[in-house]
Amino acid sequence: MADPRALASRLFQDVMAPMVLGGPVRPGHAIGARAAQELAPAADAIDAELADSVQTGRVRRARRLAPIDSLEPASAAEWVLMAALHDVLQSTNPSFDSPLRRGAAARILDLALQTLERVPPAAHVGEALSRHSWLARLFELSRTDTDVSWWTGSRTFRGVAPPARLQAWPELRRVTVVATPRPLLELTPLAVDRDKLVGAVARMLERSPLTDLATCTRAAPAFAWQRTTMALVATRAGRTLVLRSLQRLSGAEVDTVLGKATRALLAGKGASSEPALALLGERALAAAQGASASSSPSNPEAEFARGLGAVCATHLLGERGWPEAERARLLAALGPVSASPAAREASALLPADP
Amino acid sequence: MLERIALHQTRLHTPGLGLDSKGVALGAKGLVLLPSIDRLVAFLAVYTRERSLEDLMPSLTMNVVRSKLGTREITLEVAAESSDRMDRIAETARLVGGMAFTGTSRHFVQYRDAAAPFGYDATELLATDAALLLYHDRFSQTYDVERALELRALLLRLMPHVDPSTRLEPGLRLVVAEQGLGAALVHYLVRSRVEGEVGIAEWPPDSAFDDYPVRRWLLRIPEVPERMRDLLHATPGITSFVPAGPGAAVEAGYRHPVELRACPVFDAAGVVLVRGRGDEPWVIPRLPPMGPLTAFARVELRTSPREAAVATRVEAAETVRVPLRVTPSSAPWRNVTATWIEPAQLPLLRRLAYALPRPTITRATVAMTERGAFLRSGGGIEAIPLGTFFVEVHPNLYVPAGYEVTPAVAPEVLARALGAPPGQVLFLGTDAHAVAVDEAAFVPLEAALLDAPPWTTAVAEEIDRALDDAPLGLEVSSIGMLPLRGVEPSPDRNG
Repeated sequence: MADPRALASRLFQDVMAPMVLGGPVRPGHAIGARAAQELAPAADAIDAELADSVQTGRVRRARRLAPIDSLEPASAAEWVLMAALHDVLQSTNPSFDSPLRRGAAARILDLALQTLERVPPAAHVGEALSRHSWLARLFELSRTDTDVSWWTGSRTFRGVAPPARLQAWPELRRVTVVATPRPLLELTPLAVDRDKLVGAVARMLERSPLTDLATCTRAAPAFAWQRTTMALVATRAGRTLVLRSLQRLSGAEVDTVLGKATRALLAGKGASSEPALALLGERALAAAQGASASSSPSNPEAEFARGLGAVCATHLLGERGWPEAERARLLAALGPVSASPAAREASALLPADP
Repeated sequence: MLERIALHQTRLHTPGLGLDSKGVALGAKGLVLLPSIDRLVAFLAVYTRERSLEDLMPSLTMNVVRSKLGTREITLEVAAESSDRMDRIAETARLVGGMAFTGTSRHFVQYRDAAAPFGYDATELLATDAALLLYHDRFSQTYDVERALELRALLLRLMPHVDPSTRLEPGLRLVVAEQGLGAALVHYLVRSRVEGEVGIAEWPPDSAFDDYPVRRWLLRIPEVPERMRDLLHATPGITSFVPAGPGAAVEAGYRHPVELRACPVFDAAGVVLVRGRGDEPWVIPRLPPMGPLTAFARVELRTSPREAAVATRVEAAETVRVPLRVTPSSAPWRNVTATWIEPAQLPLLRRLAYALPRPTITRATVAMTERGAFLRSGGGIEAIPLGTFFVEVHPNLYVPAGYEVTPAVAPEVLARALGAPPGQVLFLGTDAHAVAVDEAAFVPLEAALLDAPPWTTAVAEEIDRALDDAPLGLEVSSIGMLPLRGVEPSPDRNG
């Protein structure tokens, strides 16, 4: 097994720091579940100056959601989480896409999933925010594939810059260079099963519920209410962070995603849906206060979410001690939405006492 | 043996002898018989004084001939072509003590003279195998050719005569300097702004014991300044040559007995340098590549390169022969219109600015340099009691008050010697070093006092753009030969 200190230094420099500060993410030799658990004690091997920059970047990221001035350095769980991310990224290495190597990529992805299993769920809102500061830009990751063609041939460079010699004398050799950024889950060729890769990313998001919600409008993996995300929005502080993070996304898309996920949640009847309903209700109230509700084009899922939110908001207005004038104004704003067919459909799905 | 040819005579006895259009007896060749080499040289010297040998060269042959009695004489043969040419040759031969003949192959009869205007004809030819048979009214003689004489070799063997007047001749000079002197001579000529070209010529070693060829500097100077003539003529190791024709030059102070300009025997692509004192000539078959003198000027680098500054010292030492000195003077102060405030005293100036009267501030101008502030005020600078006061001795030239310049040259001369370009204000320090300040740098003191502190342009950006994160990129690295080496599952799984 590699030296944990060297491994920690490499992981921090090549993956963790770029995930916060930006720049090239360079996954290297796979880490594995066993080594991942030994990284946290070796964290003192990382470059102190780089660590300071990363901490500053994490605080900056966190301050978009909460007015905090400091974050703890990476915890043991976060080291393991980032090691798992490293291995997931390494499993997408196009060099594995050959007959004798695909098995290695699948093995690495399996080990990454094993590693993720060693990461406990976020115990409190602060931990969720801390993990989010590492993974907030997960879906910004993309690999640049460059197609270079010249008068006698062409070649594709995946994730590496084409050599200058191939781009020399561009006019004489009629060189054409086309760089195409490919998001993480759209990489091709892929040596591992794409669904399995998506599942690994979903498992990772499960370990960072705030990231899961803050990126709910992503294409894949599709957002669905999980135990961890429900636990986050069940708390007042967690719900506030989630509402602030959702404000940074397109309102219509968020409504669509949350409507679909909440409809599935309500249809499942297996778990308490109260935190999700509270989130929708508070979103509806916020929209009513801002008088911007339902201003964007909608679809059935979004109308469902808005209607459900309006119903829940109406319920909230009845329970809490709102000033009478304010309550009347909000009820008037929510009235059209709560009376819509989507709201009636949502009401039918609600438990007896939401 | 000879008889005079009469008018309208058509029949001649001598083979190869004919009559030209004037009726003069003329063979294909003309021949001059000279008693000795020095007569030959005299003949060439006289002939070339007025005419060129160029038209004679194709047919010119010179031989040492020997008579039956064993006496050696010199013959010079040329193509006769016309009686005009032969007349000139015969007159010249007579002048130097020679005799002119004409003929075609072996039999040559005396060329015409005053006694026989149409020439002579030999009535009785000698029957002999001799190479040359000459018929004169006083003798008939046969000769055998002993050896040929080369004109070029003859010219090079002749020692030039001493003639100091050639040193005074104006015009081009070829100067040959020994290797050790060449660089210094070139530097001297460059420094004296003498135009010319310089190259290096090589000669074979003087002896077999020398490993290296002899190299000498060859300079071509179109016009040597009169003051340098003695240097070039009298310095051992430097030899000056006066061009004496295409491809030939004679050492200054000497003159070649023959006018070399009329002897086209030297290749114009090279040069033959004829030296005096009996020294062998220097022959350069092909002129070496020559470059302008300035290209060989000595290159000197400053040992302590200084950064560019607003105020720079004027390099006056090169143009002033005597080092300039600034010495204290008891003369009364006049026209004190500038002061130099060193950086250490600038805080005092700032403090003093609050106390200065408005007229003083209005009149004064200031230039801020890294050496301090230079203040000028046409009405007098005494109102600002700071720094070193300066007297304006010449427009834009200041000397410390209470000092004077030695040698006591006129201010105009001093300004010219310092050589400051227009638009520069010179301040001469007590150490005789000058500081030049661009006149444009002087701004009104009141404006300088109220100048805002230095500011920099701040480019306003949108806050979102300023907070933008650097883009994330996934880069691919090599997976190695064993991508799973050391990659292990978690311990509890293994166990």
